[in-house]
Amino acid sequence: MTFELKMPDLSTTGSPIKVLRWLVAVGEFVERGQAVLDVETDKATMEVEALNSGKLLEQLIPAGQEASAGEVLAIIGESSVQSTARTGESRHAEEPYDRNFLLSLYRRMLLIRQFEDRVKSLFLEGIMPGTIHQCQGQEATAVGVCAALKENDFITSTFRGHGHALAKGLSVQEMLDELFGAITGCCKGKGGSMHMGNFEKGMIPGIAIVAGGIPVATGMALAFKMRKTEQVVACFFGDGGVAEGAFHEAVNMAALWSLPVLFVCENNLYGASTRIDQVMKNTTVSDRAASYGFRGETIDGNDLLAVYDAAGRAVEECRTGQGPVLLELLTYRRTGHSRRDPCHYQSKEERAAWSASDPIVRFAQMLLAGGQVDQTDLDGIREEIDYEIESAVEQAKTAPRPALDDLLTDVYAGGEPV
Amino acid sequence: MKRQAIAEALRNGIAEEMERDETVFCIGEDIAVPGGWGGAFTVTLGLEKRFPDRMINTPIAELGFFGVAVGAAMMGMRPIADVQYGDFLFLASDQIINNAAKMRYMSGGRCQVPLVMRAPVGATGRGSQHAQSMERYFTGVPGLKVVAISNAYDAKGILKSAVRDNNPVLIFEHKLLYGSKGARVESGAVDATSEIPDHDYVVPLDQAALRRPGSDVTILSWLLMLHFSLDAAQQLTNERIAAEVLDVRSLAPIDYQTIGDSVKNTGRVVIVEEGPKTGGVSAEIAAGIQERFAQYLKAPIIRVASPDIPVPFSPILENAYRPSVVQIVQAVRAVMTPHAKP
Repeated sequence: MTFELKMPDLSTTGSPIKVLRWLVAVGEFVERGQAVLDVETDKATMEVEALNSGKLLEQLIPAGQEASAGEVLAIIGESSVQSTARTGESRHAEEPYDRNFLLSLYRRMLLIRQFEDRVKSLFLEGIMPGTIHQCQGQEATAVGVCAALKENDFITSTFRGHGHALAKGLSVQEMLDELFGAITGCCKGKGGSMHMGNFEKGMIPGIAIVAGGIPVATGMALAFKMRKTEQVVACFFGDGGVAEGAFHEAVNMAALWSLPVLFVCENNLYGASTRIDQVMKNTTVSDRAASYGFRGETIDGNDLLAVYDAAGRAVEECRTGQGPVLLELLTYRRTGHSRRDPCHYQSKEERAAWSASDPIVRFAQMLLAGGQVDQTDLDGIREEIDYEIESAVEQAKTAPRPALDDLLTDVYAGGEPV
Repeated sequence: MKRQAIAEALRNGIAEEMERDETVFCIGEDIAVPGGWGGAFTVTLGLEKRFPDRMINTPIAELGFFGVAVGAAMMGMRPIADVQYGDFLFLASDQIINNAAKMRYMSGGRCQVPLVMRAPVGATGRGSQHAQSMERYFTGVPGLKVVAISNAYDAKGILKSAVRDNNPVLIFEHKLLYGSKGARVESGAVDATSEIPDHDYVVPLDQAALRRPGSDVTILSWLLMLHFSLDAAQQLTNERIAAEVLDVRSLAPIDYQTIGDSVKNTGRVVIVEEGPKTGGVSAEIAAGIQERFAQYLKAPIIRVASPDIPVPFSPILENAYRPSVVQIVQAVRAVMTPHAKP
């Protein structure tokens, strides 16, 4: 079996896109996600990434020539099974965790990665509407924190919320349906990528105004405290949100009232295209907690078990009236801020360094080194996920779309007032 | 039955709702300080003694605590959030407009935000930033219900309806209507007291109210301008003009049923609004009447509103800014004389 690599729908004007140079020679092996060629649109120079791993069999458009969106650029041969994991040292080698639990965490992280990669390819094929903000590289923060929560705990998220949603237990199907704008989506097709959520599964719709969810999460925690429910809310936001007034106003109140809220700052170094040190003198986000009188901690956000352990401690503190806690998780966004962002502001060295600390690869290495898990286990999980996602994609493509009557529903709560 | 002013009626309404439903709580600045103010206009005075755990006194952080109220509402509480001055709603507006109003729709109907917001408005000797008529900024926000109260009976009944409603409801109150007696009375305050029944009652959030029947012209107004309009209608009887006065009251959604019944009867409309004319709620109402009832109109609709300037301080300028009874009378005369210029 071979795969066609097509020209992505990169141009905002629909004009042809020029192939600048090929980065992979015919006969060379490419990994999924690897840049195969540089192209030039009316807006910018960008890389086109492989959507499948395999040997590059043909280059159909020579450098210097133009192609339209959807035109086949290259043929890639079938992948031999590639391992994401290599064996290596691990500081968790003597971990005490249950094997099935560890595999479930691995599965959850890989599910997020595969989901995001597949969604990206669906966008680039031009068959999915809207825009996307993806989280490849940040899987350990979502999975580590949500694994420390109970089912009836809540999370709040942002415009970059696919990973949080999958980690909290939303299904691949309800999310893909939502991304395709289907009525069967988790928000009936009315939310879309940036407002992914499912109240019944403990996730309110993503709040896509930067830091807008931080006061809301604080209020959710206030309700939990007033109602004595012992629930906790984990509030995800990025380093960009820390400059907003909403962050400071909300954490102050959460501290003042000792609320059960875990503030989770995924510090991926960039707010959109702006690097954190261009907008903060003190780039240690967790330092903010002390000035409001509560505990903050900075953790390697690409170390899944470190995140899980820290989140577990923080959740326990929140549940016993010692909240809030601010967890700063250091991580890195491997994709653009949004759909057409080629990330030229991230240096090659920086990308390479973070790539070497990929959370999924690191966790796989640790599992293999622990001896309880072998490569066959991990490959099996990958195959299951591929199957789950592909089945869901096929179903989502033809899932029922909203009727025009649905346009005007769900604006106001009806029914009898209390 | 007891005669009460708006501040007192609101306070009693809040207390009764808190007694009735333990998920109801108040959140705001200076609302729960022993020996303090009960908010900027005494509405919550003393409630912290009765409900010590449900009067949440916040830092000065409108964006933050309105967001807190939204989150608590989503988790089953029924917060009553207030700002000291309506002008501060600009700080809170991200939470009101982007979150409270849209959460239900974005979630496909899975979430709801049963939130009450209270905001005092109106020009009252405080210059430009504690004076604006804020209604216009929120009436075009799908997902919000917006009401304006002009007497104590409505104040209590609307507050109760709002608390029991499952949507975010923004209640506008006028600083010159809270009470016209007592130590904290405002200069220029108008008597808006009502006889308040002893029994529980509610006032719907989506209905205009007929305040004075008449057959020649319909005057539409709300808040302080309703009282000015009633004065104008009284004066116009000297000229044998019978003006019907409606309290629009429900600003979103607008009750075109009640308004339409009056317009069909009189064929002439004057809309009176405090606040700059451009972009005012009166513009929306005029367009809405035009779309629905044009065939009944015997004359073009006339609006009376403030000039397009910030609210001034000097009393002589502030009085000139605020539409007057004389201007309303003149507008009615003009609408009674088609083709004449007002």
